[in-house]
Amino acid sequence: MSTLLTYVAISDGKIKRSSLEVLSHCKSIADAGGFSCEAVIIDENASSFTDDVQKYGASKIYTVSGDAFSQHQNGSLLKALTKVNESVSPALIAFASTESTKDVLGALAAQLKAGVVADVSSFNFDGSKVSAQRPMMAAKIMGNVDVTGNPILVSVRSGSYDLNENPSTAEVVSLDVSVDSDDLRATLREIISATGDTIDLNEADAIVAAGRGVKDEEAKNLISELASVLNAGIGASRALTESGVYDPSLQIGQTGKVVSPQLYIAVGISGAIQHVAGMANSKVIVAINKDADAPIFEVADYGIVGDLYKVLPPFIEEIKKIKN
Amino acid sequence: MEDKFDCIVIGGGVAGLAASMMLAKANMKFLLIERGEFAGAKNVSGGVLWGHDLNKLVPNYWEEEDGGWERFVNHRRLTFMDEQSTFSLDFKSSHFNEKPYTGVVVLRSKFDNWLAGKVQEAIDASDYAMDSFIATNIKVDEVLMENGKAVGIKTGEDEFHADSVIIAEGVNNLLTRQVGLQDKYVPADHMLTGIKEIIRFDQEVLEQKFQLNGLSGMSNEFVGWATDGVEGGGFLYTNRDTISLGLVIGIKDMREKKRSPHDLLNHFKSHPTIADIIKGGEVVEYSAHVVSSGDSRAMPKELYKDGILIAGEAANLLMNAGKAIQGMDYAMRSGILAAETIIEAKEKGDFSAATLKNYRSKLDDSYVMKDINNFQDAVHLLHTDTMQNKVPNLVCDFGRQFFTIKNEPTPKSEKMLLGAIKRHASLWELLKLGFKARKSL
Amino acid sequence: MKFIVSIKMVPDVYAPFQIKDGELLMDGDRMVLNAYDASAVEEALVLTEKYGGDVEVVCIGAAKASETIRKALAMGAAKGYHIQTNGDEAYDSSSYAQILADFLKDKEYDVLSFGKQSQDTDSGLTGGMVAQLLNLPYATNAVGLEIEDGNLIVKRQGDSGQEMIALPTPCLVTCSNDMNEPRIPNLKGIMASKRKPVESVAVSDMNLDGAALEAVSKVTSYSPVPARAAGQKFEGEPEEIATKVAQLLDTEANVL
Ligand SMILES: Cc1cc2nc3c(=O)[nH]c(=O)nc-3n(C[C@H](O)[C@H](O)[C@H](O)COP(=O)(O)OP(=O)(O)OC[C@H]3O[C@@H](n4cnc5c(N)ncnc54)[C@H](O)[C@@H]3O)c2cc1C
Ligand SMILES: Cc1cc2nc3c(=O)[nH]c(=O)nc-3n(C[C@H](O)[C@H](O)[C@H](O)COP(=O)(O)OP(=O)(O)OC[C@H]3O[C@@H](n4cnc5c(N)ncnc54)[C@H](O)[C@@H]3O)c2cc1C
Ligand SMILES: Nc1ncnc2c1ncn2[C@@H]1O[C@H](COP(=O)(O)O)[C@@H](O)[C@H]1O
Repeated sequence: MSTLLTYVAISDGKIKRSSLEVLSHCKSIADAGGFSCEAVIIDENASSFTDDVQKYGASKIYTVSGDAFSQHQNGSLLKALTKVNESVSPALIAFASTESTKDVLGALAAQLKAGVVADVSSFNFDGSKVSAQRPMMAAKIMGNVDVTGNPILVSVRSGSYDLNENPSTAEVVSLDVSVDSDDLRATLREIISATGDTIDLNEADAIVAAGRGVKDEEAKNLISELASVLNAGIGASRALTESGVYDPSLQIGQTGKVVSPQLYIAVGISGAIQHVAGMANSKVIVAINKDADAPIFEVADYGIVGDLYKVLPPFIEEIKKIKN
Repeated sequence: MEDKFDCIVIGGGVAGLAASMMLAKANMKFLLIERGEFAGAKNVSGGVLWGHDLNKLVPNYWEEEDGGWERFVNHRRLTFMDEQSTFSLDFKSSHFNEKPYTGVVVLRSKFDNWLAGKVQEAIDASDYAMDSFIATNIKVDEVLMENGKAVGIKTGEDEFHADSVIIAEGVNNLLTRQVGLQDKYVPADHMLTGIKEIIRFDQEVLEQKFQLNGLSGMSNEFVGWATDGVEGGGFLYTNRDTISLGLVIGIKDMREKKRSPHDLLNHFKSHPTIADIIKGGEVVEYSAHVVSSGDSRAMPKELYKDGILIAGEAANLLMNAGKAIQGMDYAMRSGILAAETIIEAKEKGDFSAATLKNYRSKLDDSYVMKDINNFQDAVHLLHTDTMQNKVPNLVCDFGRQFFTIKNEPTPKSEKMLLGAIKRHASLWELLKLGFKARKSL
Repeated sequence: MKFIVSIKMVPDVYAPFQIKDGELLMDGDRMVLNAYDASAVEEALVLTEKYGGDVEVVCIGAAKASETIRKALAMGAAKGYHIQTNGDEAYDSSSYAQILADFLKDKEYDVLSFGKQSQDTDSGLTGGMVAQLLNLPYATNAVGLEIEDGNLIVKRQGDSGQEMIALPTPCLVTCSNDMNEPRIPNLKGIMASKRKPVESVAVSDMNLDGAALEAVSKVTSYSPVPARAAGQKFEGEPEEIATKVAQLLDTEANVL
């Protein structure tokens, strides 16, 4: 029986929700095709997450623990995944697309001589090949892709699938992987943690995104206030991450993060295709822009043509009223 | 000086590319500078390139399967429009199928880029393959002058020297003004704005819609309701699988009537005839660009100076007398003549105004200046309210009566015509107009 | 230090395109230097201008790709390698990585620099693959580079902040366009580029195993992105429209 193995990513001591989305999807493919749905956790405390992962239907959970995995380093992750592949021989390894998995996907594919497709928005597996859909040309079109290989590696954009609880009792198998300096090759000197917002944009239900129109402290305060009444994450266009107004980790778009919250409010963002590529799958999009011809209005469900300094205060007030 | 050029051409539009092609073929060492990311990147025309000059630059251009052009025109239409109706003069002729074609429809981003490729091929085949350049994404900031003579150009901090400069910068002719050949201030009533949409269809659907055969195409101009009372006119040209649909509108009149180009284009598209045409199509591009009116009063004082020639729309060389916009063919011919003049100057070793003035006489002897001079009255006539509104309304009114068959006695056509005239204009006005038109066309 | 930057020519995402019967039709003349690679070239130039060294570029592509190499040379790179294809091969990241790894295996360099992804496909695989094939230490998604004691110091954008990583040379790095604004070649650069050396080799002359070059992922067809339903646009008194939209978010969209 072929095995579909989902890599469950841990970041900042938490399971990345997007990897559970992928696991949920693998479970449904496995059920439909008669494959085995399994998961692997690689973290210094890998075993502490098995209970949560069980809820999503993995029949077997592999854990790889050790100090080497306290922080992301491509050398150690690569070594661990190679070992896991050796022990499990899965037909497919599925990843949520995060900066850490993007960091190893190519190298892992070369190492395992595997088939690989990155950043898909949907995929299926028929026992021998993966058929996937992925946005291309700055998300202006969809490419339908067939991938073969053994194994096949697939990484999936966050928000592509719903979480689907499917409680089961999984067998937990701990695998030993030792990592030495030869494996690491590079030295991680320090991690400069993202400043400010702690809401993970990939998991946020609502996002308030600021663009070049947000020019000063006053505007920034309005953004923060709106985000706080909505309990939303704050995102930004490249115009603002590049100039240091917001932390680079908040950038949304082709170069930055791909998000798909229930509500996305774009404030002072023109709607360049590279920005839209990262947010077009949001459920409801609101745009606030003083230029009535700004392309952002083409993707917005609700467009407010106006100056953000005049629009945001009454907008925030009204939302406060509704929330109470 | 080792790296001095024979000529620097400013602007990779039709005029600049035509000049460059001639220079390359004549083995000149030159530099073509275009500020767009590639030649044609931001250039806009309707556009039909009229005449045979393209064949001079790229012999047998039509043989290239995927060349720079879209379709050749063998079907022409001039349409009068009122609110509900259109009345067209329609002319189609297999005579137009003969090569070289008398008009080809082009999309500038593709055409200019293609033509630039041909110029590059000509450079590669010349003695100056390593020394002549097409440089894109570079803006010329200044023409360098020494003692009243052009000696090169400046871009950013860098200066480049040449015996001559051809300014082919298009309608927004800042450098032409910088060298003192044009007044700094050009009145807005001599400027129009052109806007257009490219609307895509399935190629077969398009060919059926317009009864196109192979690569044949249609050009259609519109007067009347198209611009909702604002001075100007409309156009529709067929490309391979798209149409170019747009308006050319007087900037001053539009401002006075507080209209926007976008809103006028939507108005045009809402006409029942146009709505039928564009049904099922998808707008894939929108663009806008200034156009000269073709009024010779807006022309630069002179088109040459020591070391300098002005070509194309930078010199306001354009004709719009109602039946077609001719800007690209004028640009092409003037670019060719400018290059010829430079080539002669090189032979003589004299790039002073004394030699370069031959450009002016070549241009005066060509159809370009002859037509501009002969049809000035037509240009003015086209921009009168009578031509813009009354005539189209009257023609459509007459058409409606003429083509309507009711179960009652039909009046004679002459009576219909008189009735229509009464409703839309005075007879006297029309007599005046007819008289003017006879003289001007 | 010596940098070899791997650059790709990609279709301009702003060029009009059309999908017909699953096929993607677009103007083959509208090609550009991948934006991420332009950043990689820029950063290599900045570092070598500061510390000395050389920048060379390598590009796999059809004849037209020479324009992309010229662009990098005009920016300031000293030399180009053009690995020529016919242009009709269905290569994917894995094929390009095989070719690049084979080509680079005997070359001398301190740093191989890649774009973090191709602007048209967003795959982001080639760099990591080449690193593995050549067994090089590497880092991806660099947003800043420095040189220190013969090491390449990479600031990389990770999931939970920015990671500072020291790579011993030779090494490989993939670059984000967030690290700089690539210079636009000036006229002097464009003119100088014409005389810079470009070495050409055809893939077919490289003695590569054809099967190994075969793409592992094949685009079978293209489809349009599902269109979003047309939205509502509100213009007028700011207070009024802001309040109105807030209410609609509650009552109509149900997202509050
Ligand atoms: C390869 C590549 C990748 C890229 N990746 C990304 C990416 O990941 N993310 C990203 O965002 N960009 C990305 N970009 C950049 C992108 O092309 C745009 O440059 C960027 O998104 C513009 O940001 P902006 O909309 O904030 O700024 P602008 O385009 O400058 O727009 C600012 C908007 O604010 C409006 N405005 C100004 N003042 C006010 C006011 N007082 N009230 C209301 N509205 C106001 C203006 O009307 C304007 O529409 C990428 C580009 C490339 C080439
Ligand atoms: C909507 C519309 C419809 C039209 N329809 C037709 C038609 O059907 N038929 C027709 O014949 N004509 C038509 N025209 C007119 C025609 O487009 C112009 O007359 C023609 O483009 C003029 O060519 P040109 O080479 O002189 O100038 P342009 O084509 O404008 O080229 C000038 C070039 O110079 C470059 N440039 C400018 N300044 C600098 C600088 N400082 N440094 C470097 N480069 C610079 C520009 O980027 C540009 O590429 C139409 C125009 C419009 C707007
Ligand atoms: N044909 C190619 N020639 C040179 N470099 C390439 C080529 N294809 C990919 N690359 C490099 O790999 C990076 C992108 O990888 P990918 O997103 O997998 O296509 C680019 O930014 C280049 O640095």
